[in-house]
Amino acid sequence: MKFTSWRALGILMTVLPVAAWAANPALAGRWRLDPKRSTALDGWTAWDLVVSLDGTKISLGHDMAWRATKFFATNAVDTAQPTQAKDFFRVEQRHMALYAVRGAMTPVKAEWLDGERTLRIEAAVPVESSQGTGPMRIYQELRLIEGDRELLLIELHSTRGKPCLYRFTKVTGEK
Amino acid sequence: MRRLITALVCVIVFTVGLRADEAAAVAEPAPRAAWVMHFDGDWLVTKGLPEKVLLISLQGLANRAAPQLYVVHPKDFQWEITEPLFEFYQRKHGVAFTEVKTAGDALTLFAKHAKGYVIWEPSVSASMNVAFTIAGLEDAVVVTAEQVPLVEKHGLKKIDDLRGRYTGQTDAQIYTDAYQRYWARCTHDSLMLMGGHRGAVRMPGMADWGVRQKMFFHDLSANPIHAEEVALEKKLFSEMTPLGTVFGWHAYGKDTEEQHTTLLSSYGLRMEGLHNLPNLSFNCQFTFTPGFKFKNNNHVALDAKLTAEKKVYLAFVQSDSIGIGVWTKPGRGKLPFGWQVTMNWTKFSPAALEYFHESATKNDTFIGGLSGPGYMYPNHIPADKFDLLMDDARKLMATLDEHIMEIMDNSAADGNVGNADLTKETVDRYYKAFPNVIGFINGYGPARTRDLRDKRAMISYDYYIDPRRPREEVAADLNEMIAINAKRPYFLLVHVRESNDVNSLVEITKQLDGPLEIVPVDVFLKLAASNQTYTTRYQDPADPKHFKGL
Repeated sequence: MKFTSWRALGILMTVLPVAAWAANPALAGRWRLDPKRSTALDGWTAWDLVVSLDGTKISLGHDMAWRATKFFATNAVDTAQPTQAKDFFRVEQRHMALYAVRGAMTPVKAEWLDGERTLRIEAAVPVESSQGTGPMRIYQELRLIEGDRELLLIELHSTRGKPCLYRFTKVTGEK
Repeated sequence: MRRLITALVCVIVFTVGLRADEAAAVAEPAPRAAWVMHFDGDWLVTKGLPEKVLLISLQGLANRAAPQLYVVHPKDFQWEITEPLFEFYQRKHGVAFTEVKTAGDALTLFAKHAKGYVIWEPSVSASMNVAFTIAGLEDAVVVTAEQVPLVEKHGLKKIDDLRGRYTGQTDAQIYTDAYQRYWARCTHDSLMLMGGHRGAVRMPGMADWGVRQKMFFHDLSANPIHAEEVALEKKLFSEMTPLGTVFGWHAYGKDTEEQHTTLLSSYGLRMEGLHNLPNLSFNCQFTFTPGFKFKNNNHVALDAKLTAEKKVYLAFVQSDSIGIGVWTKPGRGKLPFGWQVTMNWTKFSPAALEYFHESATKNDTFIGGLSGPGYMYPNHIPADKFDLLMDDARKLMATLDEHIMEIMDNSAADGNVGNADLTKETVDRYYKAFPNVIGFINGYGPARTRDLRDKRAMISYDYYIDPRRPREEVAADLNEMIAINAKRPYFLLVHVRESNDVNSLVEITKQLDGPLEIVPVDVFLKLAASNQTYTTRYQDPADPKHFKGL
């Protein structure tokens, strides 16, 4: 390898991690679920995804409602390193007897893909069922759609044979 | 102690009264004449409601001494059984019905049972309920000002006129005035919560029963934001006969089912709904046909021992009161179904129970509920009332040949999702009160109260089928439950909301991962007792509560 190649590689090594950490600012903001174009929610009647970025750290707020009940939970992920999240929130099908395990830690990995247009999140969420507690692996891709006004969330469960597809529209102005 | 003695005396008096009624009914099985009206579906306050209010109040009076007037509702009415039951009365009780076409014709036939009329004011919503209270006490029909000429043509005189009396007053003020004027003369055994639909549409279908029994009508709120109404309702509840019954339903939009049921349960009272349940004044006067005895389609003996194999066992239960369920829809019988029977109908509507029994398929099994002899939330029933109520439930279940008790407590839930669990203390009480049942079911939406004692399982619903949920998602949900509960046997108890149709459930079951067997709910509980692959769990005080109570 010639010197110039080593130099190029050095430059690449310096730039690549930065690229991996670089967040796409278009993801930030409040996104509202479009129920007509999404997999049917179960129990929940409204869902806003509220995203904020701070370097490699991404905060995913879930602003939820059903009937008179309002609920807000935040999942913090980091594209620079795997993390352990306490009480990781899962938008569950509420008519299933599957429950969050209070205080449990969830291993979470996050990564930017596709030129920072897709955020991939992998989490192994402890879930309580009638037979006890076990992990549910959740794989999510949040894909920015061309124009950055729409967001597609694809979610797979290790226990579910059918993907969930949620389409969001950017909320501008007031909530 | 005095309260306990009073309660016992009331139970004895009620039981004796019931037996007398039963004896009278059994003694008169001979064919009889009666009349029928066919209602349309127009309950608009500005259109069809006033005539229905008049006719329903007249029905309550006409049916005081004998069953004379029955109402058949359109097929899309919430209570779908009025027509099948109409046919049942003809076939099994020899009732020869003559159709009554108009309100005028009804008055011609039955005005003699009224002493006069009371005028309500449609612009003052609560005045309808006050007028129904007066109707029961004074033998009056309930009319608007526009209907006065019609009833006067039939010889009725004005007894009271509520126009202007309550203008500008709050519901709390109106019902406080009514309480002071009428409550002392009303029955204290029961109360008519005539709520339900509000605003442009109202459906007081159950008012005939309240008029006949001289109940106090109201639609007071159990929502803490309506403090004056809650206070008055608590006063009424505290002055009712112990273990009494609240008929009707809560007022939509004013409070919630959870709030109201929690409140009345805390007084040891029981709920019988809905506000639009028709014809109780007629139905209560028939008992089971001579020689009829309930023989439930129990699939397993009480003392049988079954052993679960390494597979998934699934059972379906429908609990929204059998009369509003999928009973009359196509497909019933294709799958084993447990049907929660409103066991109090043994007292108020035995013919309806006999109708369900005779039309049951081998796949239809009746179970007791809901929580006791009526709808109530057991986590809130006072300890000194619990055993008395469950004594009644046990007797009713024996009459109905039911071997399973279904329990529901949504006092910490919000609708059909949320916390529907039982405290350990409540579970202890049920095991003690029902030593002879095969087992217990808990929940409405999913719940996580589970136990196994004395080879009798208590299993909560692991899944609730929302009729609006796309069928492919229901299948995916159930398969996910099967995947995540990986130990075999897995006991998957499914609650079917009333408006689901059975044919779509059949299609769902074809998509489920196996090895899977769909079994009747009594077999399910016996199998669940043979191998506890589920955890023992009760309501944990730290679990999320979505409705904080009163």
